[in-house]
Amino acid sequence: MEQSFDVSVQERDGLPVVFVEGEIDVATAPPLRERLQEQVAAGHATVVVDLTAVSFLDSTALGVLVGALKRSRQAGGSLPLVINEPRILKVFEITGLTEVFPIHPTLDEAVEQSR
Amino acid sequence: MSKLSELDGVELSIPVQADLVVLARLTAATVASRAGFAVEEIEDLRLAVEELCLSLVPSSSQGRLHLSYRWRGDTIEISCSLEAAEGMAPGSAAAAARDSPLAEGEMAAPAADLSLRILDALVDDHGRDVAQGRARAWLRKRVSSTV
Repeated sequence: MEQSFDVSVQERDGLPVVFVEGEIDVATAPPLRERLQEQVAAGHATVVVDLTAVSFLDSTALGVLVGALKRSRQAGGSLPLVINEPRILKVFEITGLTEVFPIHPTLDEAVEQSR
Repeated sequence: MSKLSELDGVELSIPVQADLVVLARLTAATVASRAGFAVEEIEDLRLAVEELCLSLVPSSSQGRLHLSYRWRGDTIEISCSLEAAEGMAPGSAAAAARDSPLAEGEMAAPAADLSLRILDALVDDHGRDVAQGRARAWLRKRVSSTV
């Protein structure tokens, strides 16, 4: 079954930004994990993940992001997230992950504070 | 669309397949909408049902998930049971239920823990048991409940 999902990578002010669109669930989380792993493997310790176009995410998506954050930290970087949708932010709040990830309301702010 | 009566129920049976779990949450959203849930509650239920299914799906990805959606009074109850594939003992189905399809290395423990936190926060009650030899997970959510 085809689901609405896309993941792409662009560079912004020297930082890789992973843009995610659609629903991140057990079926679509693997390609996101691959894109994130590729960035760290390419030597980018800090990777910005823009979730402003995400309409749904579950625990597998959170697990992928937590794993990527661990890898970024091990490489001396971080994994700032861009979230502006209250429904998505709520998932991070109820799981306590707002205390773990740097979360920004705009991409500009995330990039500015991550350089 | 007409509202659901208390006698109404919906059953869904899907193969254990990652790209079909979306059907479980689509059905949950439709049933919750018909039952009078508010938009935010429907979104909560969609995510909760997803987590319910993930908690049962074995890493071996074989078998079927049977979902039951029931509406009574101000409460919707959803249960999900795993019919293990032939040759897979019920006990192993229950054990496998502790893994998620993405339970590879670093993902397994965090995702399972996060799943529990999500269910705790979004529904009024949830649990797991073994019914008729099948691993089963269930949840209850009241309309306009404060979470």
